[in-house]
Amino acid sequence: MLFKVLFEVQGLSKAFGRIQALADVSFQVREGEVLGLIGPNGAGKSTLFECLAGVLPSNSGQVLEGGRPVVTRERSTLLFYVPDGIAPWPAQSVRWALEFTIGFLGGRANLLDEVVEQMDLRQLLDQPIGTLSKGQRKRALLAIGLLTPQPALLIDEPFEGLDLRQARDIAVALRAHAARGRTLFLSIHQIGDAARFCDRFVLLNSGRVRGEGTVEELAALAQQPSQDLEEVFLALT
Amino acid sequence: MPRKRLRVTPFLWLLNKEFRELIVSRAWWVLLLLMGPLVGMSFVSSVRTYAEVSGLNGGSAGVGEALSPLIGVWAPTFSACELAAVFLLPFVAIRLVAGDRESGALKLELQQGMGSLTRVAAKAIVLLAGWLIAMLPPLSAILLWKTYGGSVYPPELLTLILGHVLNAGLTIGLAAALASLTEHHSTAAILTLGVTVGTWVVSFLGAVEGGFWERAAQYTPAAMVAEFQHGLLRLDTVLIAIVAAGTGLALAAIWLRLGVDVSRRVYESVGVAALAGIAIFACTFFRANWDFSESRGNSFPEADERALGKINVPLKIVAHLAPEDPRRMDLEAHALSKLRRIIPKLEVQYISATSIGLFEQASAGYGEIWYQAGGRRTMSRVTTAEGVLEAIYSVTGVTPPVETDESIFRGHPLAVPPKGAGTIFYLLWPAMFLASAIFIRRSLK
Repeated sequence: MLFKVLFEVQGLSKAFGRIQALADVSFQVREGEVLGLIGPNGAGKSTLFECLAGVLPSNSGQVLEGGRPVVTRERSTLLFYVPDGIAPWPAQSVRWALEFTIGFLGGRANLLDEVVEQMDLRQLLDQPIGTLSKGQRKRALLAIGLLTPQPALLIDEPFEGLDLRQARDIAVALRAHAARGRTLFLSIHQIGDAARFCDRFVLLNSGRVRGEGTVEELAALAQQPSQDLEEVFLALT
Repeated sequence: MPRKRLRVTPFLWLLNKEFRELIVSRAWWVLLLLMGPLVGMSFVSSVRTYAEVSGLNGGSAGVGEALSPLIGVWAPTFSACELAAVFLLPFVAIRLVAGDRESGALKLELQQGMGSLTRVAAKAIVLLAGWLIAMLPPLSAILLWKTYGGSVYPPELLTLILGHVLNAGLTIGLAAALASLTEHHSTAAILTLGVTVGTWVVSFLGAVEGGFWERAAQYTPAAMVAEFQHGLLRLDTVLIAIVAAGTGLALAAIWLRLGVDVSRRVYESVGVAALAGIAIFACTFFRANWDFSESRGNSFPEADERALGKINVPLKIVAHLAPEDPRRMDLEAHALSKLRRIIPKLEVQYISATSIGLFEQASAGYGEIWYQAGGRRTMSRVTTAEGVLEAIYSVTGVTPPVETDESIFRGHPLAVPPKGAGTIFYLLWPAMFLASAIFIRRSLK
């Protein structure tokens, strides 16, 4: 099957003092795919996303687009990262945050109504972000991410704090955006969720990439007869 | 979803965001609420004193003739701004600078790609605008004073206002730098107040130790404001304040770039600090200054200044007076500070064995002020402006001007009590700010 690489990560490392959070991380992100970054808590998933987005300095490594290095200040043309667990502009309303995303971050105004519907935010538009529940805040953050114009969207724990129904609805919405060519790179610590939703996977454990590919490719790498991602992950880590 | 389709640039969106963040900041509303009563207290008390020395309640009006509204009313009234700039404004600035990082918004905003300095500049613009709004109560006092029939001399008032705006700029720069360097609001607030206390220590050391500390104390925010309060505009002071505030903002911009390696940020900070040091040192060579006070309180009479302008040999003054000796303070305030403004080749040297001079009184030579110019020397013990001028004319051989009282400032006595000021500053301003807070915060949702 032919595919086009959107960007490639090569030899990315990050240390916090003596703790090596990421060690020589390398993988590819393909255009229009839903790529899952899976790994246990503390594997380095958020650190990897922050280094890629340029909001945390890495010690070494690079991001290549078409073979050309993309320096940190140019990453905003390639990817946008939605962190987990933040409450940006807590005193401002959801409506204002979405308009700010369009005005300041160059978001796509034509998607606004659609994204509000998909994230079920209509009733929350006038509510300050700081007063939202964890799940509501997650939906608002996802809406911000979906409105941004970059070809790749990195989301840290997109289903965290959502109930089953919301998670399913949002998975459908994310799929719809991916189907239109948006590349999604999702950090998911629940391997079951990732297995249902993602096309390919990057397995991260203790800051190292343990495997990259589809479930079949990972199973082959792990020499596992089972096609169960959890089994494959355990075999590779 | 109903939405506005404003075609504005990202920078304007950023300004919009910063202004909204300022408006929802409780610290700013507390600043606004307190400004009314703070200004009111000083305005009411200074106008009452001014009226009494102008002859209210049967007192003698003679003293009032020498009263200047700048010193008698505006310096104390606007001193509320100095208090607010030290104790309230830092919290507003810290909240605006550190809030983005603590809420996580900074991680989203950084991905826009806008330069960090531009982002910090947006915050500084909004904070300065917020400060100008906070200065409305003292500005309203000017209108009130006019309704009493008071005299207003715009150049001296504008100089005073500029001083307080520059002082606020320094606070904003300092608070922004410390808010970006530290992890928490409270740490930044403690450090900001610590720096302010540090400048007070420098002033204290300057008064006690003299020498280097005395020179350093001339550039503390308190000393800077004191100059503006007297209607004196010095180019070096203005430039140094701008450089210092700009340095604070530049440091904030460096440390808000979360994606840049810490060691690089440290190197850049050291570079910025070194450049600022050089720039500040260079600024001290700018000698241009203007006395905008109506009373010309920072200047000798014009005839004397013309005569002093004829001196083209270096003039050296050696004063045997201790830093805490009141005669030295008199000499500085009444003569030397004025002399420095007009004689570029002036060298002043203080000699003393102790800081208070109390036990030096019996020493031979203590209290002597020696004047040296063109190989001639003369000694005097007088510390008044007239005495110093006489010694200078004598040592330089310049003919003193004929004395005239034409240029003497007669003052603007006003024997009117501060009617209505209490209602305006203790009730109207707080009520208005409170109502605005409720209305604006609701309308933002």
